[in-house]
Amino acid sequence: MTKATELLEKEKNEKDPARIPEVEVNNLTKTFGKRKVLDKISFELEKGGFLSLFGPNGAGKTTLIKIITTLIAPTSGEIRVSGMNPMKNSAAIRAKVGLISHSPLLYLDLNAEENLRFYGAMYSVHNLDERIDELLDQVELGHRRYDLVRTYSKGMTQRLAIARALLHKPSILFLDEPHSGLDPHAVDIFENLLDSIRAEHTFIMITHNIERGLALCSKAMILYNGQIVFYQDKEELDIDMFKSIYQQRVKGDS
Amino acid sequence: MIRKVSGAKQIAAIIKKDIIAELRTKEMVVSMFLFVLLVMVAFKYAFGDSESFSDYAGGLLWIAFLFTALLGLNRSFVHEKDEGCLEGLLLAPVDRPNIFFGKMAGNFMFISIVEIITVPIYMILFKLSIEGSIALFISAIVLSNIGISTVGTLLSTVSINTKMRDMLLPLIFLPVILPVLAAAVVSTGGIMAGVAGEKLANVFSAMKLLIAYDILFLLVAYALYDFVIGE
Repeated sequence: MTKATELLEKEKNEKDPARIPEVEVNNLTKTFGKRKVLDKISFELEKGGFLSLFGPNGAGKTTLIKIITTLIAPTSGEIRVSGMNPMKNSAAIRAKVGLISHSPLLYLDLNAEENLRFYGAMYSVHNLDERIDELLDQVELGHRRYDLVRTYSKGMTQRLAIARALLHKPSILFLDEPHSGLDPHAVDIFENLLDSIRAEHTFIMITHNIERGLALCSKAMILYNGQIVFYQDKEELDIDMFKSIYQQRVKGDS
Repeated sequence: MIRKVSGAKQIAAIIKKDIIAELRTKEMVVSMFLFVLLVMVAFKYAFGDSESFSDYAGGLLWIAFLFTALLGLNRSFVHEKDEGCLEGLLLAPVDRPNIFFGKMAGNFMFISIVEIITVPIYMILFKLSIEGSIALFISAIVLSNIGISTVGTLLSTVSINTKMRDMLLPLIFLPVILPVLAAAVVSTGGIMAGVAGEKLANVFSAMKLLIAYDILFLLVAYALYDFVIGE
């Protein structure tokens, strides 16, 4: 029995029947043409949990996030997000999730406030004016709110992307290499923000930064060629085993 | 925090966002305007002050408008593709047809603005006048524009995720839009010439065809847009 399967079995045995995992993935497979990008992936993430997802480029990490966030459909397998099926409740799931990726998902020819106002309308955010003020203050962009995003530095754009992702107060945050291209100041703001919202959110973070990923996580996973090759709780994390697999699979491929 | 999401507000927000971006960049309307102006000047040199020009006026006008619209439609999803904004939009709890109606309305507006400016220029340049009903002439143009922006928005969504999007859109757009082109030429040409009797009946038939085409493709877009904009 593999370590990943053992962990799943253990989780199933210990699970309180009343408690629904925030993210539940069973035998998830995704193929593009003949290429199998995800191969029978199974895992669970409890509410408030933080999964750090490692793996080389092309391992299927971003595809996994796209499937969970309902952007693409799985080929087979089952997914539940807050107990809901993405195929049947896609809009409800999308209202609960936020994504911070290396692309800011912002309109360069709009200013910060116009971008947030646009996304606020998409999510029907209540008290939008107050929420925009609050978030722009948190990401320290209040003084640049009327400047076009095109004129922002990479760090500022990413800080605004954080505000965009948090605008509708999502309960699950997906972070796709969020530190990529950030200056130290932006990293500090990002980590402080992450700390401040940590308790009330569930996180899935794709990262190549082992130190940050392991420091933040409650579970760590390594994906390789669409399969889980490492999956452990942080308390039981075998760091030597993690590093050995990471070196062998991730570094070996890069 | 999340209220029931209003489709009308989402559509309005998409239109407003496109207008703001266009007012800042002016890349769609200005490029369309310059192109149609260039085509009209080329027609002027080609046909001079030919007395029979009024026979072809409707056809030439719509050839110019169709390629002008194509130029704009090719740009309509550029802002969405920049920095992954389309993914941001798809990640929001927006019904996919609302994205279509927002983008389609924006395209309709930009194409119409260019036409509002260039139709009088065309009339003056070729010493033409509208002999028939002006209201009917405007209706024919509006119906044709709805068809062009509906099919154009749908097909530019198909082409946006392909590597050869600039080349693909004309290839798939022009054959599908042919009925609109034919009906637009017959209706506007007839109205400009002030036709009566049987020819006026042809104008009305062409306009009925435009209405049927618009309704059909609006329904097709509504039904298929989720699939088209998805994977």
